[in-house]
Amino acid sequence: MSDGTGRIARGLALPVALLVVWQAWGVASASPRTPVPTHIVRAAIDLIGSGDLPLAIAQSLGRVFAGFAVAAVIAIPLGLAMGASRAVERNVDPVVESFRPIAAIAILPLAILWLGTGTPAAVLIVAYAAFFPIVVNTVAGAKRISPTLLRAAATMGLSRFATMRTVIVPGALPAIGVGLRIGMGVAWTAIVAAELAVGAKAGGGGSGGIGAMMFIFYAYSIELNRIVVCMIAVGLVALVLDRGLRAMMRRLMPWSAP
Amino acid sequence: MQLRPALVYVRTMAVFVAVWWLVSAWTANTVLLPSPRVVFEALVDLARDLELFQHAGISLGRMIVSLVVACALALPLGFAMGLRRGFDEVVDPTLELLRPISGIAWIPLALFIFGVGNALPVFIMTYAAFFPILLGTVAGVRGVDRRLVDAARTMGVPRRTIVMRVVLPSALPALLVALRLGVASSWTAVIAAELIGAPSGLGYAVEWYRELLMTPQVMSFIAMIGVLGYACDRTVRAVAQRFTPWAADEWAR
Repeated sequence: MSDGTGRIARGLALPVALLVVWQAWGVASASPRTPVPTHIVRAAIDLIGSGDLPLAIAQSLGRVFAGFAVAAVIAIPLGLAMGASRAVERNVDPVVESFRPIAAIAILPLAILWLGTGTPAAVLIVAYAAFFPIVVNTVAGAKRISPTLLRAAATMGLSRFATMRTVIVPGALPAIGVGLRIGMGVAWTAIVAAELAVGAKAGGGGSGGIGAMMFIFYAYSIELNRIVVCMIAVGLVALVLDRGLRAMMRRLMPWSAP
Repeated sequence: MQLRPALVYVRTMAVFVAVWWLVSAWTANTVLLPSPRVVFEALVDLARDLELFQHAGISLGRMIVSLVVACALALPLGFAMGLRRGFDEVVDPTLELLRPISGIAWIPLALFIFGVGNALPVFIMTYAAFFPILLGTVAGVRGVDRRLVDAARTMGVPRRTIVMRVVLPSALPALLVALRLGVASSWTAVIAAELIGAPSGLGYAVEWYRELLMTPQVMSFIAMIGVLGYACDRTVRAVAQRFTPWAADEWAR
């Protein structure tokens, strides 16, 4: 019943009101450290202008993509095998299910122990985090294929490999896409957590990335405005990754538009 | 036939432990990769000292507090957003702006506000659990069959009663799914929050023993995190099966 502009106005009313209250509260508190919207904008311009923020985001994204690729390369074939063969699933599932409830960040201490505080440990955490959503969704997708199609393939004398290539993989693709999208979200959260924790526990060893950057602003040069800029950047990157993957899926698999 | 899945499970885990033992024997370095036996002994020691259970109890307690807070905030808000379009249009954009910022990203700012202690992990977990519960509630309330609400209204049932007797029962399965997602996401967040900014809890214990290079203890606590995460998920599923038996199919696995 409401026209488009009225809806947008109502949607913007609350954020704008909150920003005004925040700014007023910050000015009233009269402490130069209190983050207020105007200072945050200035901090954002500084951080982007100096190239620090883009570099940190690029570092974190590089780790995410590397870990994500490792996870996808392992999880998709494994998931397809588990979904296609009951025997494989029964034998592998216990290991997957035993490790799934262990949060990726919990194995960070082990990753630091094995690989140090640099990029390899971060990549391991990301790969671990992204692995489970991808494998679970791939298995579900491969299992959901209509038995009629599988029987038709068997009747036509298709080999196992040909069945996999022509029936199971195309049928499971939409579910794999969902798994990749969830995995990417989890991976991004995991890298921020890992970099924060490394920054906190490795004595600011300068391992880079946006999480480490946030921790440096917290611990060494108490700059809350810059921390808020980093938080907004984390949110924006998450949003862009999610929307980007969604658009890519729609492009590649128009028949399964989620 | 009932016993066979359990047997397969045991066999798979036996293979896993055997491989682990072989690799640990090959590396021959207790700090890098202790053998399964050493880890098991450390686990038994930690359990006997009750240290394992103390940290686990602290983490679980924090999770329960933050789930209660998250539900107290998200359920009324979700019902209001699901039932009233106008309210949803006002509130939803603000929440969608906040949602992509993960709970983890709040840790540095929250550390500054709350300091190291109980408040930080509780805040982070509440934030992490809030959004899945809210989204699930809104979707569940919206998914209620309009005809049921209309029928109740035709019979002159007051609005309050419609919400309590019609909307709530039919949205309940969706609410429980949302709760399950909230539990999972807050359990992930607690480990990160405790690892960085708490003087106790499972996340803290893992990091503490890593600094001491006591890997068997690190692995024991990691195992405890997994076991408790699994147990929490099972508990929510059992509750869901008990209270919404009509939606049991969704909880079969």
